[in-house]
Amino acid sequence: MKIKIAYWTCQAAGWGFYTVVGISMAAQQVGWRFSMIAGYILFGLYSIALTDLLRREIRRRQWLNAPTFTFARLFGAALALAAIQTFLVFAIDLAFNQGHSMVFSRPSYIPVTWISVSGADSIWLLFYVALTAGRRYREKEVRLQLALREAELRALEAQINPHFLFNCLNSIRALVIENPPLARDMLTRFATILRYNLHRNLNHTVPLEAEVDVVSDYLALESIRLEDRLRVRFAIDPEAGKIAIPPMLLQTLVENAVKHGIAALPNGGDLVIRAAINGDSLRVDVENTGSISGPTTGSTQVGLSNTRERLRILYGNNAQLDLQNGDGRVIATVIIPRAV
Amino acid sequence: MKALIVDDERLARLELRRLLAEHPEVEVAGEVRGGEEALSMMPQLAPDLLFLDIQMPGMTGFELLEHLEDLPQVIFTTAYDEYAIKAFEINALDYLLKPIVPARLAAALARVRPRSDRGRLEQVFVRDGERCWIVRIPDIFLLESEGNYTRVYFGAERPLIRRSLNALQEQLDPACFFGLGGKKSSISNGLTK
Repeated sequence: MKIKIAYWTCQAAGWGFYTVVGISMAAQQVGWRFSMIAGYILFGLYSIALTDLLRREIRRRQWLNAPTFTFARLFGAALALAAIQTFLVFAIDLAFNQGHSMVFSRPSYIPVTWISVSGADSIWLLFYVALTAGRRYREKEVRLQLALREAELRALEAQINPHFLFNCLNSIRALVIENPPLARDMLTRFATILRYNLHRNLNHTVPLEAEVDVVSDYLALESIRLEDRLRVRFAIDPEAGKIAIPPMLLQTLVENAVKHGIAALPNGGDLVIRAAINGDSLRVDVENTGSISGPTTGSTQVGLSNTRERLRILYGNNAQLDLQNGDGRVIATVIIPRAV
Repeated sequence: MKALIVDDERLARLELRRLLAEHPEVEVAGEVRGGEEALSMMPQLAPDLLFLDIQMPGMTGFELLEHLEDLPQVIFTTAYDEYAIKAFEINALDYLLKPIVPARLAAALARVRPRSDRGRLEQVFVRDGERCWIVRIPDIFLLESEGNYTRVYFGAERPLIRRSLNALQEQLDPACFFGLGGKKSSISNGLTK
């Protein structure tokens, strides 16, 4: 609505100004003649109508969209529009004044009018292109801000699974009597995980090895819960451990593998976490026994698509996350660029 | 009162056993790791009370209940399950959050009624998408046959259960329900809404 009001105000002001200047200049030459003033006012009105038609046409044909945009085409449109306006000016003059029309008395006015109206139309188009581009740029900025905020919120949601936290506390409560030293060890690990979750800053990255430490604590806790159902193996290249990753990236994948992969199997399975440097990027694989065709596929996909979105915002097209399924195993692979 | 513990985690079962030691009226007749084991143990153990975890590998707690023909009293035990808890709050089923608060366990046990009449169905478990109910038989005012399924009318709800009307009828008190319309496609307890 605001944009519409601004547009019509600009139209009225621009063509009104052109008309007023035109009338005052013509009055000096031919005096304050009614037919001249009426002609100019009519000119202002149909110019508004014609440029508005041009605007609609530009929008319909999407001339301002990046791949098809050319100034030449717009200039051509300005010349064509000016030709129509010039034709109208002299046609109306002819209808009003007949034998005394400028068409006969001053034929040189025809090209002069066409050129000056072309100039006016070109200025009109320049304004239109500049203002539209400005508005689109601001809209894009707002959209980007919104996408970022959304991603931050999603990352906040990527906190450690509360189901795990409470199950863990319950297991520790049982262990306090059965195996006090193990219970104490588990409580310390529990504290580490909680601290990592509470203190992490989503805008910063962490070295992969720092997250691997937290993931090992997490897996140790899951192991007391799942006991011999969870068998873990790490293969982290020491160089790869130094690469910066977004916090909770590995944790999310490992949690997914445990929750939807191994915990869903009555006899459990193996979990392998591999990380290596591959050229200019870091490759992390999280492999678990199981298949994605299980009944909990939906929530797995949601978790993965959140992670994928986060990677896209952080690294653009330079990062990827794939999920492969086959041979009784599921492998989640993340590739992110090495930080410079 | 005989109880069966169904939970995939050994430590969780151990913890519940310890808590139940404070309640001599509850005899833990057995513990199983999941739905399949529970199904095979149930006929022989005939527990009055089921302590049931919801998230288990293979068969969830809800799926187990759908498979049970004769439903004992159920107390759900869960660590954190937004959906399940929402379902319970609507229907006021009993649930305990792990780690279990001893006072909450005592309160839940106080509400458990020992079974009076063996062989008679006292309640049914009904699931309709995300929502679920344990419906006491006296609260049902109409059962309607739909092929191999039966539509259960209670309160303002009318979900389907995966059992035929004939199979259900065999377990119901014949004095409480009577056939409607001669077609034997629905039975009512004579109460209106």
